[in-house]
Amino acid sequence: MRGVIDLIGRDRPDAVFLIALLVLFLIGLAAVYSASTVISESGLFGKQLTWSIIGLIAFLVGTIISLRRLEEISPIIYVFICLLLLVTLFIGSGPANRWLIIGPLHLQPSEIAKAGLILMTAWWLASQKVRPRKFGETLIFLTVIPVVLLVAVQPDLGTAVSMLLIVLAMFVWAGYGVGWIILLVSPILAAVSSMNILLWLGFMIILTIILYRRKYPIPMWIVFMGGNSIVAALTPTAWNMLKPYQQSRLITFLNPSNDPHGSGWNIIQSEVAVGSGGLSGQGFLQGAQKELAFLPARHTDFVFSVWAEETGFIGCLILLTAFFILFWRIVIAARKSVNPFNSLVAAGAAAYIGIHVFVNVGMTLGIMPVTGLPLPLISYGGTQLVTVLFLFGLVLNAGMYWREV
Amino acid sequence: MLIKEKQWSSLAFMIMTLLLFILLGGRLFYLQIVKGDYYRGLSSQNHIRVVTKPAPRGLISDRNGVVLADSRPSFIVTAVPSEFDSMNTAQVASLLSITEESLTSILNQASSVPHRPVVLLASMSVEEVSSIAECIYRIPGVLIDVAPQRRYHRPEDCCHIIGYVGLSNDPESFRGEITGRTGIELSMNEALRGSPGLHREVVDAMGRIVEEYRGTGSDEPVPGTNVVITIDSELQRTALELLEKTALPGAVVIIDYTTGEILCAASSPSFDPNMFSRGISQDEWDALLQNPANPLYCRAWTASYPPASTFKIVTAYWLIAEGMITENTMPAPCYGSLTLGDTEFGCWTAHGRLNVISSLAQSCDVFFYRTSQLGSLDGLAEYAESFGLGSRLTDIFTDERSGLVPHSDYLDRSYGSDGWGLGNLLNISIGQGELLATPLQMAAMTGVIASRGRMPLPRLVLQREQRETFFPEEACDDTAFDIVTEGMLQTVIARRGTLHSVFADFPWDFWGKTGTAECSGEDHAIVVGFTREPEPIVICVIIEHGGHGGSIAGPVARDLLLSYFEGSD
Repeated sequence: MRGVIDLIGRDRPDAVFLIALLVLFLIGLAAVYSASTVISESGLFGKQLTWSIIGLIAFLVGTIISLRRLEEISPIIYVFICLLLLVTLFIGSGPANRWLIIGPLHLQPSEIAKAGLILMTAWWLASQKVRPRKFGETLIFLTVIPVVLLVAVQPDLGTAVSMLLIVLAMFVWAGYGVGWIILLVSPILAAVSSMNILLWLGFMIILTIILYRRKYPIPMWIVFMGGNSIVAALTPTAWNMLKPYQQSRLITFLNPSNDPHGSGWNIIQSEVAVGSGGLSGQGFLQGAQKELAFLPARHTDFVFSVWAEETGFIGCLILLTAFFILFWRIVIAARKSVNPFNSLVAAGAAAYIGIHVFVNVGMTLGIMPVTGLPLPLISYGGTQLVTVLFLFGLVLNAGMYWREV
Repeated sequence: MLIKEKQWSSLAFMIMTLLLFILLGGRLFYLQIVKGDYYRGLSSQNHIRVVTKPAPRGLISDRNGVVLADSRPSFIVTAVPSEFDSMNTAQVASLLSITEESLTSILNQASSVPHRPVVLLASMSVEEVSSIAECIYRIPGVLIDVAPQRRYHRPEDCCHIIGYVGLSNDPESFRGEITGRTGIELSMNEALRGSPGLHREVVDAMGRIVEEYRGTGSDEPVPGTNVVITIDSELQRTALELLEKTALPGAVVIIDYTTGEILCAASSPSFDPNMFSRGISQDEWDALLQNPANPLYCRAWTASYPPASTFKIVTAYWLIAEGMITENTMPAPCYGSLTLGDTEFGCWTAHGRLNVISSLAQSCDVFFYRTSQLGSLDGLAEYAESFGLGSRLTDIFTDERSGLVPHSDYLDRSYGSDGWGLGNLLNISIGQGELLATPLQMAAMTGVIASRGRMPLPRLVLQREQRETFFPEEACDDTAFDIVTEGMLQTVIARRGTLHSVFADFPWDFWGKTGTAECSGEDHAIVVGFTREPEPIVICVIIEHGGHGGSIAGPVARDLLLSYFEGSD
């Protein structure tokens, strides 16, 4: 009988990983502190400190918990998270019903769901004994649909899409080729590419190459070429059948912006804040944009702008480098793990970091659309911090296991 | 999972992420190092202001291209909350002649979007604005701008059709945006409004524009779509003048029954919608609301009246189409009334023995009392609905009423299943009782006869597609159409026809029917009718408390058609 805690047969923890994590953790506290100095709502920093302590405990739990045990209960965790999201849908509060309030706790279940989704996908993929060959195995992809849908209808399309990307990255890690991924999402690509004939031709050529190289039988050709042609042919018709106000609602849904007036105000202020940071920044707690309260959501989605304004290009490079080192060490941990589940959890964590950092920082720099994705470890928000730290605990845990087979 | 593959996968993961991070680093380098000075300047001395440029609202013109509604530039005074210094509140308030409290509350409400100008005072003339411009210019955060203001060219004529606009209170709209409140302005608002543009301007500490923002670009406003309505504004004006001459409230509806296009829908009294464009004062608003004739109320489709004897064309059609009578059926004579149980149902004179054509021409009630007893209330109600009564005919008049066609279940609900009887059917057969119809519906009802069932649904917006007809094809009966049409002709040409004297010198053929709707006080006078030459149109004239149908509504219909046909020659 294995215990819940498993401390036997371990390597030393990865020091580089821990240092990078610590640097980011401290940057996060500093940035939230700076951003919260001008926020009328008091006690933000105190709350973040409390959450940090809970997060550290979660991190420790993640490092010593038995991963085998965790693997066994992953489907149960997943079902629990689906229920949690379902409950949130009905009794949730805050913008777009994203929050679940239990006494003093303000939880954002969609953040927890990201970790649950990683565990579930890892469990599924690890249970496949041989490298997948048959397309029928795509069915396992359907298991992630409930969580993604539950988040998408909140509505939080940004989070839902990021979840899908994490899952797809884990599939690639598990040995599913890029061609397979393209086939999987081909109906979406068909619908999008139908807007332009050249895009459509390009998509069909890629589809043909993939089908040829994978040596699929004739029926599969008919399914993919025919099915996607039908999707592409119907998309403009379906679109035109919608009334103008329905079209604009759909566009708003697909492009949820924090700014209903569409003035791009948030992005402009963020660009000005980042740009005015210059090489070395305006100094900690000295950001002018932040102080004039022009910077929106400065402690959550746009916390990077505060950091960039106050510490400049140098500070930003430190932050991005730390994230990249963290990412690199997670990928190393994923590669070293012989146990498929451990490896896949680490790969999922790596994808989580990569996607969130790029989407969030890209948004503050005006090269990505406005979505509500937080910057892991840095943005204010307890659920996100605890979830990420727990996930990193698992990664460290997996990295220490590699000698054991 | 094979361990060898993970070498390749991890390399792919690392390279892809590295590329994305380099992209972020490159953008950071551009913003912070290359453009760092520019942004530092922006953040320390200048602000960015996002100014909404209103889209010009679409024009509304009539079928002949006469512009009925357009926009003219007017001056507005706005304030940018983030740039406004509350020290200047008193000065600005006195300059604009508004109270300090209202100024403060406007600015407080707007403080959630502090960079966007909020309208303090709208629709100012050049004279008004020039007297304060000099002082305003010195106050940071207060601006004078130009905004389009809605202008109606024949304000009184089409006020109910076009409606009016007011400031939008939709939270999604920008401050100062106007939106349709009634009429076409409301129902076609989405098309007319266009979409506003956004200009991003860099302004200095004094609020002066330094340059256009060089980061994310500006959006130009997209003008609203123009709307062409089927109304003939000349005809509309003549109709309103004739109505006003009677000094009684009333309405005229004229529809081309081959296309369903509404050529005229006048309602008197009317009002000036320009009052709403420039911001209606409390006094003006109170005066409109307290006017006993209620000018805001459109009598052409919001008011419903008993159609009275005009409804006999439906009753006659029903009797013939259902085979209950023929052209030659002559029931017992009219002695001036009919007694049913202990109730006496009156007629306006003793007509003697008549067939259906003469009964229509002389508007004999007793003929219909006697013959309708052959059918059922629900049978007649079904025909009334086929003729367009009892439901809305358009989707463009948001305040269109549906009128009322009583079925037996309706009467059951109102009186209990024992509380009503044959008497209700008799009353309804002559268009009284519970039956109610709008003038628009009465015109459509007449149009069914004129077009022999092929009249399309009435419409107000000029468009090419043919709209579907509303009279059910299976209800078409050639004999019934022939006989009712003949009855309407005899109304005009027979010596004892109710419109004979009014249309005696009318140079074209006219098919008509009068109605006298009983109500408290003097009866409402109604005339419906149609012509085939020179134009295929149906007309409905109703004059509230105008007395007998032929006497006052008849001349209005005749004079209006004369003026229209002679003008169009």
